[in-house]
Amino acid sequence: MSENVIEIRNLTAKYGDRTVLHDISTDFKRAEIKVVLGTSGCGKTTLLKHTIGLLAPASGTVNILGTQIGELDSPETMATLKRIGVMYQYGALLGSLTVAQNIALPLKMHTKLSNQLIEEIVRDKLHSVKLDIAYDLFPGELSGGMRKRAAIARALVLDPPILFCDEPSAGLDPVTSAGLDDLLKEMRDHLGITIVVITHEIESIKVIADSILYLEKGKVLYDGSLAEALKVTAGPLANFFNRVDNFNGAPAVKMQSKLIVRSTQ
Amino acid sequence: MEVIHLPKDIDRHWVETSSGAILAGTGPILLDFKDVESIDSAGIALVHILERTRSTEVESIRRPILDQIESTQQEIDSSKKQTKSPFFERIGTSFYNNFCEFRIALSVLVEMLYWGTIGMFERRDFRKGILGEQMYHLGYGALGITLALTFLIGVALAVQSAIQLKAFGADVFLIALVVQGMIRELGPLMAAIILAGRTGSATTAEIATMKVQEEVDALKTMGLNEIQFIVVPKFWALSATMPLVTVMAIMSGILGGFVVAFTMVGMAPQMIMDEFVKNIIVKDFVLSILKSLVFSWLIIWVGSYYGFRVSGGAEEVGRATTQSVVSTIFVIVVADAIFSFFY
Repeated sequence: MSENVIEIRNLTAKYGDRTVLHDISTDFKRAEIKVVLGTSGCGKTTLLKHTIGLLAPASGTVNILGTQIGELDSPETMATLKRIGVMYQYGALLGSLTVAQNIALPLKMHTKLSNQLIEEIVRDKLHSVKLDIAYDLFPGELSGGMRKRAAIARALVLDPPILFCDEPSAGLDPVTSAGLDDLLKEMRDHLGITIVVITHEIESIKVIADSILYLEKGKVLYDGSLAEALKVTAGPLANFFNRVDNFNGAPAVKMQSKLIVRSTQ
Repeated sequence: MEVIHLPKDIDRHWVETSSGAILAGTGPILLDFKDVESIDSAGIALVHILERTRSTEVESIRRPILDQIESTQQEIDSSKKQTKSPFFERIGTSFYNNFCEFRIALSVLVEMLYWGTIGMFERRDFRKGILGEQMYHLGYGALGITLALTFLIGVALAVQSAIQLKAFGADVFLIALVVQGMIRELGPLMAAIILAGRTGSATTAEIATMKVQEEVDALKTMGLNEIQFIVVPKFWALSATMPLVTVMAIMSGILGGFVVAFTMVGMAPQMIMDEFVKNIIVKDFVLSILKSLVFSWLIIWVGSYYGFRVSGGAEEVGRATTQSVVSTIFVIVVADAIFSFFY
């Protein structure tokens, strides 16, 4: 049950001179939904991009399913990438292809299945995300929520054991967003997929998360189960769940006033 | 000690008129808050600056106003002030950055040529059906405007030359000038410049938009090569259509010359045809087509390089497209100049 599928060790990431991730180490376990959360600009998306090999870390290692992720062009990394699905923030469906062609793309590129089988798989996947009607539509003709569901279908088409979701509920109405949460839970329960979700929607986190990784200013502040996290009563994590906004958690530093006050009214 | 009597409302308007003199002074200052009932952000900022630069005392201040001033007190970290980096460091950084850019551009070129030729047989990623679509968009779509413009260029060239040639009584060479000028130089160059503006910019905008919308990242994580997937179909489509467009552009330009020769100069149709046949040199024609092929690769290369370079938001797409068109035309003219030495 508690087998690690992704292991990140001492990951440090930089954009130019600016360090965005400091010495991150964490694990993602099989058949678990782990939510990476934190306030804006804390390095969530950067962590995702390093984990799936789009960016190379300044130091540290990422290990997915026993393979160390390195250069994107290396055969080992490519083989591993085929075993993960990624759902991007805005879907990232290819605008020049229909929804069906988008979903069929990984199958056409990486398998030798016949067109008949591919079409059947695509229809099955579309059905599983309740998007049967979108088969022949172009991404531009879909709403934001439909696009995200189509993106999940594409991410899952090669039956990956790991799924990454970058802000699945951002910009969606509460009903669609809840539907998406249910879908993620279903996939974890029925397919045993490890799901990594990046979000800062508190309601969604409380529903789907098994465990959470809380980042602040590029450092891990909390890494553990959701139940434990909710018991924390003070500090940034408690502030986050209680929606106390004090700009990045840290109290603003107040300088000693140099004003000489002679008298007050 | 300088004493300032503050008005009832320390607002933006008062600060605008009075802050200059107050900030210019030095030495201790006493702010008399006796009449003050309200203070706004500008007033608070003024007090903060005074506090840092001069020894400041306040008198008869109301508690809420003092709280307001002190609650927004910020910490000024003087170590974070931007310092200009040394001269040689700046030169080195700029040189290194340019070198990196050049390396990226070169790798796009190499990958394009590799995946467009040898690599095509290695993997079955090539999208069937898209080639025809791209040929239609990139080549056929540009045909109308290219023909119209080269026709007009042919007309202009013929009219200008006819006036000069007439002075020498050398009217008969008009056709030779137009035909050779169009085949060797103007046909390929004009076609390339028009396609750089149309196809090159479209390529950049398309790839840049895909980059911004994370579609390129999505391709990579699906284990697909983005150059192979996006650039190679365009590479082939333009390689196939560019020579055809160029040949038609040459013909259209020559036709423009004929119209002028017939109507303005009054040459006989038979004479025009004879001159035309005499001046078509097969070697020139073949070299012209080769030249247009090279131009088509330059258009796709520069166009996709600027597209892949984009990161960030929508405004970057527009900037990249502009840069791409300017650079493509520059590169094409340079290449044309180099070609002119060889034949």
